[in-house]
Amino acid sequence: MPSRRRSPIGLVALALASLFVPAAATAGPAQFVIVNINAPGIGFNDPTPAAPVGGNTGTTLGEQRLIAFTHAASIWSARLDSAVPIRIRAQFTSLAAGVLGSAGPIQVFRDFPNAPLTGTWYHVALANKLAGEDLSPLADDINANFSTNFNFYLGLDGNHGALNDLVTVLLHEFAHGLGFSQTASLATGALLGGFPDHYNTKLLDTALGLHWPQLTDAQRVESATRFGRVVFDGIGVTAAVPAVLSLGSPTVEVNSPAAIAGGYQFGTAAFGPRIGNPSVTANIVAAADAADVAGPSTTDGCSALTNAAAIAGQIALVERGTCGFAVKARNASQAGAAAVIIYNNVANAGAAPPGMADDGVNGAFVTAPTVSLRRADALAIVGLLAGGVNADIGVDLSLRAGADALNRARVYAPFPVVGGSSISHYDTVASRNLLMEPAINPDLTHNVKAPFDLTWELLHDVGWTFPDADGDTFPDDEDCNPASNVQPTIVLNGRNTGVPNRGLGAGCTMTDTLLAAKAAASNHGGFVSAVAHITNEWKTAGLITAQQRAAIQVTAAKWQ
Amino acid sequence: MSRQRVLATLAAIAVAIAALAGPAGAAPKKFKATRAFVVDKETGALRLPTPAEVDAVVTTLTSLGQQPAETLTSTTTATGAVGMDLGGGFAGVLLARPSEDGTWETRCVFTVEEGADFLGLVEDVQ
Repeated sequence: MPSRRRSPIGLVALALASLFVPAAATAGPAQFVIVNINAPGIGFNDPTPAAPVGGNTGTTLGEQRLIAFTHAASIWSARLDSAVPIRIRAQFTSLAAGVLGSAGPIQVFRDFPNAPLTGTWYHVALANKLAGEDLSPLADDINANFSTNFNFYLGLDGNHGALNDLVTVLLHEFAHGLGFSQTASLATGALLGGFPDHYNTKLLDTALGLHWPQLTDAQRVESATRFGRVVFDGIGVTAAVPAVLSLGSPTVEVNSPAAIAGGYQFGTAAFGPRIGNPSVTANIVAAADAADVAGPSTTDGCSALTNAAAIAGQIALVERGTCGFAVKARNASQAGAAAVIIYNNVANAGAAPPGMADDGVNGAFVTAPTVSLRRADALAIVGLLAGGVNADIGVDLSLRAGADALNRARVYAPFPVVGGSSISHYDTVASRNLLMEPAINPDLTHNVKAPFDLTWELLHDVGWTFPDADGDTFPDDEDCNPASNVQPTIVLNGRNTGVPNRGLGAGCTMTDTLLAAKAAASNHGGFVSAVAHITNEWKTAGLITAQQRAAIQVTAAKWQ
Repeated sequence: MSRQRVLATLAAIAVAIAALAGPAGAAPKKFKATRAFVVDKETGALRLPTPAEVDAVVTTLTSLGQQPAETLTSTTTATGAVGMDLGGGFAGVLLARPSEDGTWETRCVFTVEEGADFLGLVEDVQ
């Protein structure tokens, strides 16, 4: 990631200058310890030779796995502050088919010294950070198991192609272990041991206007399936939403007939135009194609559509199965469909609407916005097609994609709940895609904070703080000087000007600016000239008086 | 790893195994597969998982997902802090299944039911 530090010289006009009052110095970047529990020859210790890939310089499969783990941990380390090392007990091992890996906290703690909320569980790594001590020194903090049977991309550069990027997967799963998950039972609604946790205390059911700890067990079970109506209302996430999520929340609504009118839960596609570009209001028409080798049914859309005249300008309804999503959408596009709905087939009858990946070939030919629907919803539509079904596939421009009207981030609350991954993830309708959605989307970067993502902001809301070596409230990784001069007055070469040393709004102080000018100047005359320029700007901006300007310039002139 | 950490690890595994066994007398749910998500090592082709492979998936999801609170133990430290060992569970479990076009669809789940649904496992009532 390119450095985002800014030159202190460029900050002189900032009107945000304030008297600098440093906060207590923080503990510094959290130290992550990867505890390799693999036996010799296995997992992290696999000696199979491997060619370096994507910045991963390991020469064996085991080394590359460990380097990827360490890299993911270092990304979190740079953004989280703790005096207590975070121990991840990790292994690569043969897991069951279909299981890529897992990570989670080993313990939770409540009512520890310095706990922000009493009677509230915290994941152990977070509890340790808040307590300032290791509450369970004999145990590790996060348990991580990943599969040796799956072909991950082990590079560090994110150029994973069609493979799953291990670093992204690790960033996601580590976040669960660090505190991005809740502990109430989704089956019974019961709070863990009768106590809420740091995460679900900030879950708000907007239909009821209540936070999760205020709900009864039965209400929590119901809330977990209230699609679009459960939000995380931490102030950091809410403040960052406008910088991350785009305006225009996608919607799929049936306008008529009245019996099935209303909004529908849907999935989005990684190909074709974005929903709302353009918004479509049209009739839904069942796509028909030949039952052939490409697809055995006349509803699967795997071949060229045979009812193109009826489809043109309308919303094509296609059944999932046999061929890829992008193939179906391409065939519907070629028939002139204005939009495409792909609904779950029998094999996925109870599942939530899927997110639809591109196959790298057909997506480029899709010209119609494409969404997916639950099978039950689609069959209700199919049953009334003879009388005409009119629908909108568009966006609500008053909302950001993945947030509510107050910019509170939606958490994933699909119906039915077994559709997957409820509550401990962001909603899949978020745009841009977020690290902590239930699926690992291929367009994710390794950035975990705004304007790229909202994961770090959530962890901050539940109690994590950022490394801030100089205590100026600017995180080190975006502080224009993480080791600012924080003396109360401007002192140059041991001479005190008596002028208050103000902060300039991006993590730099006036003294930082003057010292940077000294370092940049090729000779004394250049330095004096730069100081004159800087202090004139400060005076113009009202940050210092004429007398203070003179004091700084005179002091600078004596620094030879 | 220190001997103490080994003991702590073994204790966690023991709790997980106890949780896997479920409440006394309760028969664990049996599942069967409805979709192919296993890449056959011999042929490289997708196939339905065998009953043993289905059982392995369910066992994994059961041990890693949410645990019944009554199977978990808590302890109180000298400072009054209360800790609860999660028994190896409460993890996010990342699953993958093949899409029709050969790409892999992933999903992070927290419960057996979520995972079974994603992988197309249905309860075997016979």
